[in-house]
Amino acid sequence: MAQGVVSLLLWVAVVASALAQVGVVQWHRDLLQVWHLEDARRAGLQQDYTRLLLEKGALTAHGRIDQLARKELKMTEPEQVQVLPE
Amino acid sequence: MNASPNQQTTEEVAGIARWRFALVMAVFGCLLAAVLVRLVMLHTIDQPFLFEQGEKRTVRQEVQPAMRGMITDRFGKPLAVSAPVVNLWINPQQVNIQQLPLAAKDLGLPAAQLVKKMERAASEGRSFVYLKRQAEPELARRVLDHRIAGIYGEDDFRRFYPAAEVTAHTVGIVNIDGKGQEGLELAFDEYLQGQEGSRQVVKDLYGNVIKQLQVNAVATPGQTLALTLDLRLQYLAYRELKAAVAQHHAQSGSAVLLDARTGDVLALVGQPSYNPNNRAGLRAEHMRNRAVADVIEPGSTMKPFTVAAALQSGRFSPSTEINTSPGYVRVKNKTIRDHRDYGVLDITGVITKSSNVGVTYLSRELGADNMWDFLSKAGIGQASVLGFPGEAVGSLPYPEQLDALRLATVSYGYGLSVSPLQLAHAYTAFTQKGCIRPVRLIKANSSDENCQRVMSEKVARQVLNMLETVTGKGGTGTRARVDGYRVGGKTGTAHKVGRQGYEDSEYTAVFAGVAPISDPELVLVVVVDAPQGKEYYGGEVAAPVFSRIMEQALRLRQVAPDDGKVPTLQMAGGPA
Repeated sequence: MAQGVVSLLLWVAVVASALAQVGVVQWHRDLLQVWHLEDARRAGLQQDYTRLLLEKGALTAHGRIDQLARKELKMTEPEQVQVLPE
Repeated sequence: MNASPNQQTTEEVAGIARWRFALVMAVFGCLLAAVLVRLVMLHTIDQPFLFEQGEKRTVRQEVQPAMRGMITDRFGKPLAVSAPVVNLWINPQQVNIQQLPLAAKDLGLPAAQLVKKMERAASEGRSFVYLKRQAEPELARRVLDHRIAGIYGEDDFRRFYPAAEVTAHTVGIVNIDGKGQEGLELAFDEYLQGQEGSRQVVKDLYGNVIKQLQVNAVATPGQTLALTLDLRLQYLAYRELKAAVAQHHAQSGSAVLLDARTGDVLALVGQPSYNPNNRAGLRAEHMRNRAVADVIEPGSTMKPFTVAAALQSGRFSPSTEINTSPGYVRVKNKTIRDHRDYGVLDITGVITKSSNVGVTYLSRELGADNMWDFLSKAGIGQASVLGFPGEAVGSLPYPEQLDALRLATVSYGYGLSVSPLQLAHAYTAFTQKGCIRPVRLIKANSSDENCQRVMSEKVARQVLNMLETVTGKGGTGTRARVDGYRVGGKTGTAHKVGRQGYEDSEYTAVFAGVAPISDPELVLVVVVDAPQGKEYYGGEVAAPVFSRIMEQALRLRQVAPDDGKVPTLQMAGGPA
């Protein structure tokens, strides 16, 4: 009698762990999928970040700012004696 | 119907059926046994082989590239940045030739040529051919979206250099595999590189990861390398140097700008340069970092050190008078000449007029040991500690090699060699109150308080005041002046060494200087190599470049004018 109960319990445990195994595998894959999406998002953001970094570098290059200041804003270097127009 | 034949037939039939039944059963039994044997064989004897084959088809070792660290200037502006790209590759065994033109069109490649190439690769049995390396991610996505069998993408990084040729020599360059080849990219390769990640995954037929088996290493990006360079100063030094080299049709040139107080390298530029973003047409001579790797004979720019050594000995003062008449002196079998007979000069005058005879006299009084000692303490002929690949050490002859003639030549900057960086570094001895610190290119958090005493603070100040007279009235470096500031420096013009000794008409024009004199902020050395044309003196070629770079650098660093004659800005009708 006791042996029967033990084997029944073991049988239930085996079935339960088998089902759990399937469930865990599925869970693992789901998580992997989520991680993949997040990783792709990270890669995308990194791509944007470096692109923006390079863009900023190009736009704020000293030579360019210097040119813009001289040509568009008509800025000049201060001289020793200078009368500023109103 | 008769019963007996019927019965007979039944008996016959039953007899036949029995052995037939046995036969069929036996055959089935055999088949079953065969299947069983096969099953057992597959599970025991063939199992390792089959398992391996199965793994080969599904389990993949994936390598995740690590992002290389950035190189930035002292304010964090990027000088070298890695951006994600995709390497497209083809397995010619799997590729669908009919679809190839689609990909070729996206990539702008001639379709027919690509098809032919793939057919050849397939017939050679190759299973990996790069379609395009380092394609922009958007482009790669477009190509991969055609879902052409046999075309794959792999993540990679590409190095971009926003300041391009302006910082090319210092920052260096990586090869297509992301390994440092030149400059700091090479010197700090390991630091920048980071750690590649690797993991084992199970993939399905379409290359999707369905299971992650094992992570062997997590990808860790490389570290950021912050330099002491100031990109603004680097830009303007580069621009002015480039203009000067073009104007004088010089072979090459370099400029080194140091922080006079700490020895930080603020700008390090060379000409000719190259664009590290476009590797096509790279030439070795353009990749040479002339400010660090080339040595020059410093010529007269060494004279302040001879004078400083003399002052440090305590036997001379700035007003000690030396008779340089008749403008030449014979040492052994050589005649050392001045431009003209300067007559009696005080020591300040020796620097102002750049008198070879004067420093020859001083060095003879000092002796070889004292001279050598002083110069080597100032870092001449010593390795600068930048850790830069191909960094030149220069040379300084040992005292026992210095006979009377060589001692005399060393006193005015011949017979020894320095890199422009070493020359600038040596000049910081004057600006750091006689105590010299190692030059730095990598930004350090703590300032190095250890310094090497070269001369007393008093001597350093005296020499600075002498250097100011060079740009003053009657000096050789008047074109180095900067409006509003007291500027000091020393011109140098050295004959270049050719096949038969010193060339008569090939020169190196040098200017080394300091500004502002009242409280030095910047040290700048400009070298223009082999200027062609009528102007070739350091005071004519290098000094104007010095003046232009210094003027803008002082303004950018917001250094207050110190010459005491700057009037305040007047505003007409400005706000009350």
